[in-house]
Amino acid sequence: MIKHLLKMVWNRKRANILIIVEIFFSFLVLATVLITTVHYWQNYYRPLGYSIQGVWRIEMSLKSLLTSLKAGSDDSKQETEKARQLYLALQKLTEIEAFAGSSDAPYDPSVQTSSYSYRGSKLEIQTEYGCTAGFKDVLGLQLVAGRWFEPNDAALSWDPVVINQKMKEEVFGSEDPLGKNIAPEKAERERRVVGVISEYRKHGEFVSPYAFAFQRSGWSGMEGQLSGPPHYILVKVRPGTPASFEEKLMTQIQRVNKNWSFTLTPLSESRQNWLTFCLVPIVAGGIVAAFLLIMVGLGLVGVLWQNVTQRTREIGLRRSVGGTRGDIHRQVLGELVVIASVGLLLGVALAVQVPMLHLIDFISARVFSFGIVSSVGLIYVLTVLCGLYPSWMAARVEPAQALHYE
Amino acid sequence: MIKNYLKIAFKVLLRRKFFTFISLFGISFTLVVLMVVAALFDHVFAPFPPETKLDRTLNIYWAATSHKGEFHSLTIPGYALLDRYARGLPHVEKFAIHSIPTSAISYKDGAQISSYLKTTAGDFWDIFNFNFLEGGPYSIDDVTRGNFVAVINDATRNKFFGNESALGKAIIVDDQRFRVVGVVENVPIFRVTPFADIWVPITTSKTDNYRKEMLGIQMGTLLVRSRADFPAIKEEYRSRLSRVKLEERGEDDTVTGCPETLFETFSRFLGGSIQNSVLKPPSGRLWAVMLTLMILFMVLPTINLVNINISRIRERASEIGVRKAFGATSRTLVGQFVTENVVLTLLGGLVGIVLSPVVLQLLTGSGLIKYAHFQMNYRIFFTGLLIAFFFGVFSGVYPAWKMSRLHPVEALRGRSL
Repeated sequence: MIKHLLKMVWNRKRANILIIVEIFFSFLVLATVLITTVHYWQNYYRPLGYSIQGVWRIEMSLKSLLTSLKAGSDDSKQETEKARQLYLALQKLTEIEAFAGSSDAPYDPSVQTSSYSYRGSKLEIQTEYGCTAGFKDVLGLQLVAGRWFEPNDAALSWDPVVINQKMKEEVFGSEDPLGKNIAPEKAERERRVVGVISEYRKHGEFVSPYAFAFQRSGWSGMEGQLSGPPHYILVKVRPGTPASFEEKLMTQIQRVNKNWSFTLTPLSESRQNWLTFCLVPIVAGGIVAAFLLIMVGLGLVGVLWQNVTQRTREIGLRRSVGGTRGDIHRQVLGELVVIASVGLLLGVALAVQVPMLHLIDFISARVFSFGIVSSVGLIYVLTVLCGLYPSWMAARVEPAQALHYE
Repeated sequence: MIKNYLKIAFKVLLRRKFFTFISLFGISFTLVVLMVVAALFDHVFAPFPPETKLDRTLNIYWAATSHKGEFHSLTIPGYALLDRYARGLPHVEKFAIHSIPTSAISYKDGAQISSYLKTTAGDFWDIFNFNFLEGGPYSIDDVTRGNFVAVINDATRNKFFGNESALGKAIIVDDQRFRVVGVVENVPIFRVTPFADIWVPITTSKTDNYRKEMLGIQMGTLLVRSRADFPAIKEEYRSRLSRVKLEERGEDDTVTGCPETLFETFSRFLGGSIQNSVLKPPSGRLWAVMLTLMILFMVLPTINLVNINISRIRERASEIGVRKAFGATSRTLVGQFVTENVVLTLLGGLVGIVLSPVVLQLLTGSGLIKYAHFQMNYRIFFTGLLIAFFFGVFSGVYPAWKMSRLHPVEALRGRSL
């Protein structure tokens, strides 16, 4: 049966080659869309490593932040004093459960990296390089080993670093990372790992887990180091705090220094914005792909329909020598499946190169195989659906009428 | 002759409505998608107000710092760096230093208004051609003297003054009082170089610190005499910077950078190491990637179109037979089929040209991008149409020619290819 179908397809190879090419490309489009969707979908349900419940981000205006100040100058002393007062003002507010300064915040599109090296290999790893001791409590990070930064870390002669589980696996494997120095080669101070947290996916739900490190910063005037305030202040308010607290908070901190400007954004809002930003290209790509597949489907129906009309006599002949309607049905759909298989075979052969050659590393092989298998299934369904009407038409051919032309 | 062809073409297209619909759907859909992508691209890169002289504008967006010769970080230049080393480059007609937009807070009846504020110095208002709705720009003199004057955009005027004129009125931004001298049309947020809500002289900054900053939050914009001078300017700026030490960071720190177009800046984010691309942005690679994506996207609709066309012609074997039997030459037959395909393509183009502005209008209206105003890019539209046309003709000519060479008797019997 299959051998016979293959022969039929081969005999009309010129007419079939275009359908094969079309199915090949349709498969690639569908597989790309499915793999991306499944990849994002899977990521969405992985643990984030932090909670943004009740967390507000206060951005300090860039204008004051980037004003470079020489340590010890009068300006610098003034700024340091103001920053200290800011700290005290925040501490006084009982509605605040925890607060911290940071250089970066969850759902911020920016990418900050820092250099490390371990056993001679250079590493460039995403890093939050200015978080103060309160950071862990604000975001509810979970320690797996070691400790988080402490206010008296400022007195150390080396820089403490906290890493996430993923970085521990990538850099240290099964070794114990605690106490290891990961400073880059020419660095003046050592960077020692003091703790490991379970997970930290700064860029939110859609990205795959990646290595991440934290470096501490003091809050000027309170924990030593750095003049001036941090870039962001992250504030976690107690549950049940009324919305009017926002105004109170802003007036309190504005009172400290008139020259700084503060913008408050709830992290839930930055999350919303960032996720929308990530979703728009996926949705747009999905819509375009859907339209492409509809077009291909309609085209297939057209081509098959024409094929059937053209082969009326052949079909009539078969019917007159005893072929049943079912036989004709099976023949038309069978040929179609064979054609589709050839196209799919080529497509799969190309698609499996991607995970095999590690061309795209951040998508796991399992997602790839799932995407490929389900695309194959869907393309078969699509082609068979497109073949149903033409095959029904073919089966309706009356032998007498068809042979009448001969 | 042509009239007859057209008549037949319309009749045939109407007879096989399903085929016609698929072809039209494919052509117009492909064109609409191309149009949306092109509009997005234009929205960022094409010259339109205020960036009308884009073809001879270079920007300095980045300063790459190195520590002991090793790449350290990609940061933003400060006023001092640009003022000392980017000013007076050869072949440059106009030069402006302006900050990246920073957020600024105002209050109106107790409610907070958040706007993007850009401080400017130099020939900013000459390089960019803003469309002024009221008043005009502030002068270089205003900048030197540190006058508290501001140009605001339409949206900001609405926030502060409703629909009234804003000229001469005061706005308080970050506790500073500015007099409005001009109102301009909203600049889309994607026009990253001139974008802001409020523009004020740099000299109104709260401190003078910016004057000493080598790294900071400024960008430099150069209006060059002609495009041909770009390489010389890049080279000169680079060689000037090679002598610079970043004193505040220590003796070993050096800085480099490159005046570039926005497109070149974008090409940096294509991947690869940033430090290599600082001096040589891989803009050629970005073009290649975009072109490949476009071709990949057009492959499916094209194959579909070819497939349908071939089917349509093959179906009409007996018609060809009759015509041949009555003495039609191969050329006339090919001419007829090609006319049909041309008509079909033009129809598809027509549908596309009607649908594209609708889709773009929807996108503009959705507010997805701040102050966005998408426009049709007819250049790309006609390129797309031309491509559809090409494949339409190509896919029509080959089978038509093959069919037209069939023996009339064979064709009359309806023999297939």
